[in-house]
Amino acid sequence: MNSRERLLTALRHEEADRIPIDLGSTDVSGMNCLVYRGFRRFLGLPDKPIRPMVTSGSDPSLLTFYNMVAEVEKEVLDMLCIDVISINRTLEPTLGDRRLSKAFINNRWRVVELGFKQWYWREWDLTIEIPDYIDIVESGDRYIASLGGREHAIAPKRSFYFNSRRFSTPLKNVKSIDDIKNFNWDFYKISDMVLEDLRRRAEYLYKNTDYGLIYFRIGSIHAWPQDLRGWSQWLADLRLRKALAEAVLDHVMDVVMYNTKKIIDTIGCYVQVVGLADDLGTEESPQISVQMFRDMYKHRYEEIFTYIKRYSKAYTFLHSDGAIYPLIRELINTGLDILNPIQISAKSMEAEKLKKEFGEQLTFWGGGADTQHILPFRKQEETVEHVKKLIKIFAPRGGYVYAPVHNIQPNTPPENIAAMFRTAYNHGKYPILDI
Amino acid sequence: MGLLEFIKNSLVNLDAGLTLKYVSDSLKCNVSIMDIINSLADGMKLIGKKYEENEYFIADLIAAVEIFNESMDILKPKILERREAKPLGKVVIGTVEGDIHDVGKNLVRILLEANGFEVVDLGVDASSEKFVDAVKEYKPDIVGISTLLTSTMMNMRNIVEVLEREGLRDDVKIVIGGAPVTQQFAESIGADAYGENAFKAVEICKNLVKK
Repeated sequence: MNSRERLLTALRHEEADRIPIDLGSTDVSGMNCLVYRGFRRFLGLPDKPIRPMVTSGSDPSLLTFYNMVAEVEKEVLDMLCIDVISINRTLEPTLGDRRLSKAFINNRWRVVELGFKQWYWREWDLTIEIPDYIDIVESGDRYIASLGGREHAIAPKRSFYFNSRRFSTPLKNVKSIDDIKNFNWDFYKISDMVLEDLRRRAEYLYKNTDYGLIYFRIGSIHAWPQDLRGWSQWLADLRLRKALAEAVLDHVMDVVMYNTKKIIDTIGCYVQVVGLADDLGTEESPQISVQMFRDMYKHRYEEIFTYIKRYSKAYTFLHSDGAIYPLIRELINTGLDILNPIQISAKSMEAEKLKKEFGEQLTFWGGGADTQHILPFRKQEETVEHVKKLIKIFAPRGGYVYAPVHNIQPNTPPENIAAMFRTAYNHGKYPILDI
Repeated sequence: MGLLEFIKNSLVNLDAGLTLKYVSDSLKCNVSIMDIINSLADGMKLIGKKYEENEYFIADLIAAVEIFNESMDILKPKILERREAKPLGKVVIGTVEGDIHDVGKNLVRILLEANGFEVVDLGVDASSEKFVDAVKEYKPDIVGISTLLTSTMMNMRNIVEVLEREGLRDDVKIVIGGAPVTQQFAESIGADAYGENAFKAVEICKNLVKK
């Protein structure tokens, strides 16, 4: 059974030969660049510049590497028996050239040396490879990334992430619905040139590899307005300024549906999974009530998922962090097939309960190790036990794709990461044994 | 039902227009400013209870904070005119170096202010030096530190250590919070307390200044 068949079997809620495994098919199921460099060394692979994944954010026009999640080389995919890749990858297997956005059509890369500090005594250097149209300069205790001479993002040296400045809350100060109408929404619509590039890449990977293929970040309808208006202000909008919120959402949907239709019509026959990213949770509960979800979002998700399912065979995937238990039933009813990253440490997100209540209808993609509390801090044996326990819960009857909860964070020991993937492979073979 | 009760209830119902109207009306009727603030604080407390009971969500909390802030904007000129009460205590608060997430920290700040604390906000990505300077300058009762990231939570330890080195550690209580933080972690870095959420953090601060 090849990787693509394995993935499809799992998504049909059947047991394949083993659970499919993901590392780095999205920028929310990968490994931080610094920890990835250490992991490569641990695997005995030679040092080389690490390529951060270039992805769009919640803002569909934004193409960044700022969350510093590494693209995974073929050799590492092979060693860990990874089954899924993104059609947007730029490392082998790939067509190579990638049209990154309307303005940038190249495949030229620039090598940059960065240094990070933590506390006052730990220091790391890291060599990364980024698109050559992005400049990074050191400025005191931070790095500044700029694009076309404009400051674009900042990384404090004690952090491992760049924080985007370029598109910061452009709708923060709008007062009227006319202001919203006059905003340049068309800027965010996908161009035919990018679409043609997507088609070539997807077709190449579909015909020349056995991997399961994902297109992630087709749109966001909660996180994007939060970027446009400000995280907190958008939540207050939903509650206090409903007419304005509806107007923003109508325009957001116009863009998201335009892009969804174009992308599905172009690559829907090649990809097995199409993903949206929206963070609807906090550590304690959803950000909004179920009622508000029904009023503002439910019909909109339904419109997106319905199109994807009607015009392609792709399964629908949603990434949402946090404690979203009360929304899961609602999401299933909108046509959602796959949920990620299953933040098992958040309130009411216990693995057993989720599998029992939703396991028949929903595929869990993630939840395979707690990257906040366990993976960086515990001993190897404890990690193995932790992973075994979670596989035993999630894997039976299919509907499970192995990945840890969200990205593997800096400071995570490579021994634990290796133990995690080894356990996912060895103990993820069907039938799942009670050991 | 008096105006104060109206203020509290309209805030709890997240009705911005009515809350602001009742606050203005109260001022016109010469209701004591402390009483008005107390009604707003009572309202926030009830909202907190609804949050803990899963009736309200973070969107509701943020809406409440927005209404609270707008109410305080109406009251501020009057407060400055005649300081009626001594603050309950002084808190220096900030998001740890390397981290720019401030939703949790801001919520704690507003709730502390609503409960009568004076708060010095160091903002986000605040270095240990910034915390030390603020402790020297403002002599707070409590230092509050927030983080969202596992990769920056270790910088909290740095702040505790630097305060120790400067001989300031015993002058303040240190309360920490944020998604990856646990009680165990708070103990391990020598903090005095861990606030599981914004409302618990305020309760902890109240208890700490009582002692």
